[in-house]
Amino acid sequence: MIGNFLDQFWSLTFGGLSLGFIYILIALGYTMVYGVLRMINFANSEVFMIATFATIIIVRDVYKFTQTSEYATGFRLWLILGTALLASMLVAGVLSVLIEIVAYRRLRRMNSGILAPLISAIGVSMVLAESVRIMSDSRPVASPRAMEKSFIGKFFDADIRLDNTIIIIAAIILLILLLAFVNKTRLGKAIRAVSMNGNAAKLMGINIDGVVSITFLVGGLMTGAAGFFYVLKYENTSFSIGFELGIAAFTAAILGGIGNIKGAFYGGLALGLLETYASFFLGTQWKAVTVFVVLVLILYTKPNGLFGEAMTQTRA
Amino acid sequence: MKKLRLTSVAAAAALAAASLVAYAPASNAAAKTITIGFQGPLTGEEAQVGQDELAGVLYAVRLFNAKNKGKYVVRVVQADDQGDPAQAAKVAPGIASNNKIIGLVGPAYSGATIASLPFYKQRLLPMISPSATRVSITDPASPGGALGLPVFHRVVVTDKVQGPSLFKLATKGVATPKVFIVDDQSAYGVGLVDYMKPAIPAGQSVGFDSVSDKTTDWSATVSKIKTAGANVVIYTGYFPQAAVFFKQLRDSGYTGILAGGDGVLSPSFVTLAPASVLEGVRLTAGTVPLADISTKLEADFKKKMGKASGVYAAESIDAANIFLSCIAKGVSTRAAMLSCVKAFKGKSLTGAALSFDANGDVAGGAMNGFEVRGGAIKFTGPVK
Repeated sequence: MIGNFLDQFWSLTFGGLSLGFIYILIALGYTMVYGVLRMINFANSEVFMIATFATIIIVRDVYKFTQTSEYATGFRLWLILGTALLASMLVAGVLSVLIEIVAYRRLRRMNSGILAPLISAIGVSMVLAESVRIMSDSRPVASPRAMEKSFIGKFFDADIRLDNTIIIIAAIILLILLLAFVNKTRLGKAIRAVSMNGNAAKLMGINIDGVVSITFLVGGLMTGAAGFFYVLKYENTSFSIGFELGIAAFTAAILGGIGNIKGAFYGGLALGLLETYASFFLGTQWKAVTVFVVLVLILYTKPNGLFGEAMTQTRA
Repeated sequence: MKKLRLTSVAAAAALAAASLVAYAPASNAAAKTITIGFQGPLTGEEAQVGQDELAGVLYAVRLFNAKNKGKYVVRVVQADDQGDPAQAAKVAPGIASNNKIIGLVGPAYSGATIASLPFYKQRLLPMISPSATRVSITDPASPGGALGLPVFHRVVVTDKVQGPSLFKLATKGVATPKVFIVDDQSAYGVGLVDYMKPAIPAGQSVGFDSVSDKTTDWSATVSKIKTAGANVVIYTGYFPQAAVFFKQLRDSGYTGILAGGDGVLSPSFVTLAPASVLEGVRLTAGTVPLADISTKLEADFKKKMGKASGVYAAESIDAANIFLSCIAKGVSTRAAMLSCVKAFKGKSLTGAALSFDANGDVAGGAMNGFEVRGGAIKFTGPVK
């Protein structure tokens, strides 16, 4: 078994890494909002689900690909991938902002505490999932393949596949942009200020509603990118995938320490690799068990997650 | 909606019973009105299966009524169980106590069948299911004997036959098969593997995996298959997962054979992955699409029913035809129908001999093979 594992180590690792980066991006949707509002935005999983549909609509309906189409190449391919990525990010970003305005803002203004927005979040996620279920006739929907899944090289014995490579590189670029935004820009500073002490930030003249909207927008953009990468890698979706992926990303956020970007990063990577290795070693049926045993062990020793910080510290 | 439909079915049944007593002699002096039932999912997520089967039954009845004009008028009472055992337990009592119904095509699903059986057995309502394949319904070895005796029959072969056939089809033409089998952790998928195992020759199996039907990332299973050096991969589960799994397996560079059972045989299957990925996928199923029996038959079906035939169309027509041939012999009670069905010897739409064994299973039923070619599922003949 160990020998087999070493044989397959690098190909499992590449698969696990690209899955991990998808988790990271969704986890950011949870963690950004939590950092600012101390609230779990459970509707984020459905934002992700709708982003996967946005990608498919672009590829299938705008660029008219079918399951028997020729693969796109060269400039056209990058144009298609670029449009689909931007569209999913925009759809998800705007949807997140709308969800905040419709479902949370009024509750927050009325100081409803933390439970009412939680129920409101679950309600929104049900409405979104059911709406898509009705529109998609409860059927799984596949994305036609626009890009050939070619091998671009070998690393030790493992084939390096184009889609996994694109996911890893693009996700890293997005993360660098996100860190630059949060650390270097005025808006980013405002987000951090609200996250550290909302009342003080308000007294300094920061527009809290504006900052909250921007946070939802940024979290949504990241989750939307995850939707695009998911379709690029797995080429299918359904109204019900939000739950599964959402729980996984939420677990990743908790594992790493919710509320900070570093936590989402390491939590997502750890989860992606852990799931993949565990499925190989113990069988896929043990994947979830392994993940949660590890989660409990980590929380047992570090209750705030791997990189959890005290509430008052910076969240970037 | 559910409730409304239910009550309206019950009301219609009651009304029909009442009207029979009052008006039957006056309304159509020469023609005799006989009622049969259909039970399956007509609404909800599984509605497509039930609606397709119902269309098959109505098609057969329509041909029969046209042929026997002036002699018989057969009516079909529809019962919607949504494919759900809980729902089936609610509709079955109404059907069972409606004595006008002398035979029932269905239920479509095994779970719903088991939930309905106590009511039908109590009132001795003869049943012929086009698609309930769970082995225990007719298996004398199940606790308490075959659940369905004496009223249950089916025209579809079970997974007991499908398991070995699927293995045979998957390894056909392979000199040294190294088979890797993956199930979806469902009762259907695990059961199919259990029935397949005794049929696997020594040394031909190189591994098993069991993967939840919620899984989207198959890389671990793919790695296992590659380490095992398999050249045949069989998946016992349903088409949405099969499409994703096969895609990821092919994308990893696997070039061997891919195969699946009737859970994968759906017209939607080929829309879920690129045609090049699914090319050559081998499938088994007890059913044969009408168009593969005869294109003329399919055209006539489409003309009369206003839609293309579905997956179990042939079985639904066969099941209805058995009842109809008994009716043509003058059968008009449940008891007479039951003995007529048990003694039935005839031909199915495909031309094969059709009769039932002592447990209600179709005698000598065969599994059919299919292959995906150019983005469409093609019938390749019975598995031998």
